[in-house]
Amino acid sequence: MPYLLRKFLILLLTLWVAVTLNFILPRLVPGDPVGAMIARYQGKLDPSAVDALKLAYGLNDQGGLLGQYFAYLGKLLRGDFGRSIGQFPTPVSEIIAQAAPWTIGLIGVCTVLAVVLGSALGLYSAWRRGQPLADALPPLALFLNSMPYFWFALLLLYLLAFKSSVFPLSGGLDPFLTPHSPTWWVSLLRHATLPALTIIVTSAGGWLITMRNNVMGVMSEDYIAFARAKGLSEGRILNRYVLRNALLPSFTAFGMALGFVVGGSILTETVFSYPGLGLQLYNAVTNLDYPLMQAIFLYIALAVLIANFVVDALYALLDPRVRDGKAA
Amino acid sequence: MKGLLTILRRSPRAAFGVGLLAALLLLALLAPLLTPYSPTSQAFGTWLKPGGEHLLGTTALGQDIWSQLVYGARLTLLIGFTAGLVATAIGTALGLSAAYFGGRTDEAINVLINVFLVLPGLPLLIIASAFLRGGGVWSIILVIALTGWAWGARVLRSQALALRNRDFVQAAIVSGERPARIIFAEMLPNLAGLIAAGFFSTALYAVLSEAALAFLGMGDVSQVTWGTMMYWAQARGALLQGAWWWVAAPGLCIALLGTAFALVNFGIDEVTNPRVIHEARATRVLRRNRAAPQAEPALEPPQPLLAIRHLSAGYVTPQGPVRAVRDVTLSVAPGEFLGLAGESGCGKSTLAFAATRLLDAPGVVFDGEARLAGQDLLALNPAELRRVRWKDYSLVFQASMNILNPVLRIREQVYDAMQAHGVQDRGRLEARARELFALVGIREDYLNAYPHQLSGGMKQRVVIAIALALEPKLVVMDEPTTALDVVVQRQILQEIDAVRKRLGISIVFITHDLSLLVEMSDRIAIMYAGEVVEEAPAHELYAQPKHPYTRRLMGAFPPLEGPRERREGIPGRPPSLAQDIPYCPFFERCPNHLPGTCDVFKPARVEVTSGHSVACFLHSPAVKEEAYAAD
Repeated sequence: MPYLLRKFLILLLTLWVAVTLNFILPRLVPGDPVGAMIARYQGKLDPSAVDALKLAYGLNDQGGLLGQYFAYLGKLLRGDFGRSIGQFPTPVSEIIAQAAPWTIGLIGVCTVLAVVLGSALGLYSAWRRGQPLADALPPLALFLNSMPYFWFALLLLYLLAFKSSVFPLSGGLDPFLTPHSPTWWVSLLRHATLPALTIIVTSAGGWLITMRNNVMGVMSEDYIAFARAKGLSEGRILNRYVLRNALLPSFTAFGMALGFVVGGSILTETVFSYPGLGLQLYNAVTNLDYPLMQAIFLYIALAVLIANFVVDALYALLDPRVRDGKAA
Repeated sequence: MKGLLTILRRSPRAAFGVGLLAALLLLALLAPLLTPYSPTSQAFGTWLKPGGEHLLGTTALGQDIWSQLVYGARLTLLIGFTAGLVATAIGTALGLSAAYFGGRTDEAINVLINVFLVLPGLPLLIIASAFLRGGGVWSIILVIALTGWAWGARVLRSQALALRNRDFVQAAIVSGERPARIIFAEMLPNLAGLIAAGFFSTALYAVLSEAALAFLGMGDVSQVTWGTMMYWAQARGALLQGAWWWVAAPGLCIALLGTAFALVNFGIDEVTNPRVIHEARATRVLRRNRAAPQAEPALEPPQPLLAIRHLSAGYVTPQGPVRAVRDVTLSVAPGEFLGLAGESGCGKSTLAFAATRLLDAPGVVFDGEARLAGQDLLALNPAELRRVRWKDYSLVFQASMNILNPVLRIREQVYDAMQAHGVQDRGRLEARARELFALVGIREDYLNAYPHQLSGGMKQRVVIAIALALEPKLVVMDEPTTALDVVVQRQILQEIDAVRKRLGISIVFITHDLSLLVEMSDRIAIMYAGEVVEEAPAHELYAQPKHPYTRRLMGAFPPLEGPRERREGIPGRPPSLAQDIPYCPFFERCPNHLPGTCDVFKPARVEVTSGHSVACFLHSPAVKEEAYAAD
C-alpha cells in the first residue's frame, strides 16, 4: 500500500477512535449523563440548556445506542457540536473558532522554534561529544524536560510579571487597540512572550535528547566510517551524511511528541489566561461544560492528526526509501 | 541485579539518577521521621514564612508545607510507579504478542499502537477524568496507564520483531516450545533493558500527568500529592502572597523525580546499547617519540609502497588495554596483491584500520609506524590525513547494508569523494563516474539510483568504483566479498584483479578465506593472535605451509568455497589479547609444540627460505626479543 495512503487511513481510523471515545465517555458516567449533569448543577440549569444537552447527546431520540451513535456521527459531519452550557446559548463551534487562532499561533510557532533550537543543540551535543559544554547539555535537557509546564509557567509569571512588571500578567492583548497597528503587534508579542518562553524551554530539552540519540545512532553507521575514509570535509559529513539521516527519526518522534506538547501548552494557557483553546478547555472543565469540552478535544485531536500527516508527507520527501515503500 | 550493578558502575549518570530516586523514595518512606506534623493538620498560623519550626512555612490554611511535601511524595510516587507498571505491562504484552504472532495480529496491534500514539494524551486524560471524576486515585492511575502504554509498546514491538528472527528464538520455535515459554523465557530477558526504559518513561509521564490533572483540579484534590499541593497553592493565590516556595518546592520535586527517571533511562541506554561512534577525528596514536625514526636502514629494494613496522594497536577498555595487533612488520610492494588471512578476531582488520588511521575510538595505535610511499601516516595531523586519504590510498569496506548513505543518490556519493580532493568540474566528474561504473561492470543509469535500489553485489561494486575514483596507489579491501554469494564474489574478484593489473595499484586483501587468497594473491601473510606468524609467496605457502597454524588453516578449508561453518576446524581458542603473551601464542592448540620451549620463549619470525618467513621453533630456534613490549 502506498505510504501516504496508509498514513491517511490510520489518520481516519484514529479520528474515528477519538470520535467514538467522545461518544462513549459520557455514557460511562453512571446513570443518565444529562441527569447527572442536572444534579451537579443543582437546578441552576436553564430548561432550554437541558434540552440542548439532550439534543447534543442524542438522548432526545429514543432509539437504541446504535441509533444515537449514528445520529451523533451525522451531526459531527455537519459540523454541529451543540451549544455550550457554560456560555449558553453560544454554539460550541463559535467558541472554538474564536479561541483556535490564538492556540494555533502560539503552539505552532513555539513548537517549530523548540524543535529547531532543541535539535540544533542535540546535534551539537552529539557531534562535539567529550567537550564540557556538549556533555553538560543532556542532563540539563532532561531536567528542563521533566519540569511540569504549568510550574515553570508559574515561576516565570511570578518573576517576570508579578515581581518585576516586564511582561503582562495575563491575557492575549491589551484592550481597545486598533487591530494590526504597531502598538497592537507590540501588545500581542508582549503577551505571547512568557507563554512562548515556557513552551520553548520545557519542550526543547526533549528534542535535544531525541536529536542527540539520533545523531549518535547515525554516527555508528557504516556509511559515516566510509565517508570519513573518503576524506570528506567535516562540514560535508555533518550536513549531508549525519544531519540528513538523523533528521528522519526526528520526524517520527515529532509526530508522537506533538500530542504531549499540545497537552502541556494547554496548561500553559491556563496559567497565563491566554485566550486559546487550553483556557476554554479549562473553563469548560471547571463549569462542567461537557459539549464544549468534548468539541475542544475533538478539535485538538484533529489538529494534531493533520500536523502528523503533514510531517509524514515531509518524511516521504526526505527519505527515498519511504517513497519506494521499502520502509516506514 | 548484576545488570543493574554494571549499569551503575559504567554510567555515572545512571548512578546519579538512582541516587536521586533513592533520596526521593526515602523522603516518602521516612516521612514520619522527617516531620512531626501531619500534612493535613491546620493547627498552625497561616502564610508563615520558611524557617524556624516550619522548614517551608505554612499554607493559607495553616498546614505545614514541608510535611505536605514529604507525605505528598508517597502518593505521587505510588501513582507514578503503579501507572508506570500497568502501562509497561500493557505495552509489553501487546508489543511482544505482535512480534511473536506476527501476521494479522501484528498488523492489528500496530494500528492500535499508532492510533494511541497520535491521540493527544493530556486532552484525552482531561476529558476522561472529567467524566470519571470521583473515582479517586485508582481511576486516575488507570486512565494514565491507558493513555500512556503506546510508546513503550511501539519500541518493544520493533525490537522484539528483530529478536524473533534471531537464531535462538527460531530454534526454540522449531523445537516446538510453547509460545508462552518462548515469550517469557527466551524473548523477555533479552528485552529487559528496553522494558525498564519503557517503565521509567511512562512513570515520568504518569507523574507529570497526575500533576497536570491535579493542577486543573481534576484529581482528588483532598489527597496530598505534589500535584494537588500546586493546585491549592494556585487556588489560594500563593504567588500573589509572595509565598513562591509553596509553588516552587513541589514542582522542583517533580522535576527532580522526572530527571531521576530520565537519567536512569539514559544510563540503561548507554550500557545496553553501546555503539562504536565513527568520529570525525583520526585514530589516536599513543607511541612515544623515538629518537630518529628514519635512522633505520632502507629496506631491500624495490622500495615498498606500504611499510608497516613494529605496529602495535588495539583498544582501550575499562578492563585495560587489549592489544589486538602485536608488533607487526609487513610491507607491500608497488603493484602487489597481498593477502592477509586468519580466523575471526586475529587482528587482521584492526591492523588494516590502524595502519590507515581509520580505527575508531576506543581503538588506538600503541606503537610502530606505517609509511605509505615514505610518509608516516601515523604522524599526520587530521587535516593532512584528510588530504592523503582516498588520493593516496582508499578502502573497500565489507559489503554491509549501510555502507552507502541511504538518503543521497549514488551519483552524489561518487562525486563527493572526488570533489573532496579537488576535482570540481562537472563534466570531468560525470565522465569519470561513468568510466568507473563501466570498469566495475554496472550500468551508468544506476548513478541516479538510491542505495536501497541496489542489490548487495551492486553496492559492493559501487564501493569499489568509489575506491578507484582517484586511482590511489593502494587499496585496502576488508572482506569485500564475504557477504556476497559465490557467483557474484567470483565476478567481482576477477574485476578487481583486472583493474589492478591495468592500473598497477597495490591491494591488501583481508579475508578468512585462505583458499581464495591462494588463488588471487602474490603474497600471503597469516595472522594469529595479533601477530604475523607466516609470510610467503602464495604458491609457496600453498605448496609448503610451514607454521602448524597455517597447515591447520589449510586443512580446515575445503578446496572450493564451502559453507562457512566448516572453518571451525582447529580445536581450542586463541589466547586472550588482553594479556601479555611472552611465548608462542599458538602452543596450546599446536599438535607439534615443544614442551619447555614453545610455552616459555617467543619465536622470532625468520626468513627460512627466500621470501618465506615463519615464526616457529620447529623451523628456527631464534627467540624474539620483546623490544617493543607494552610500556
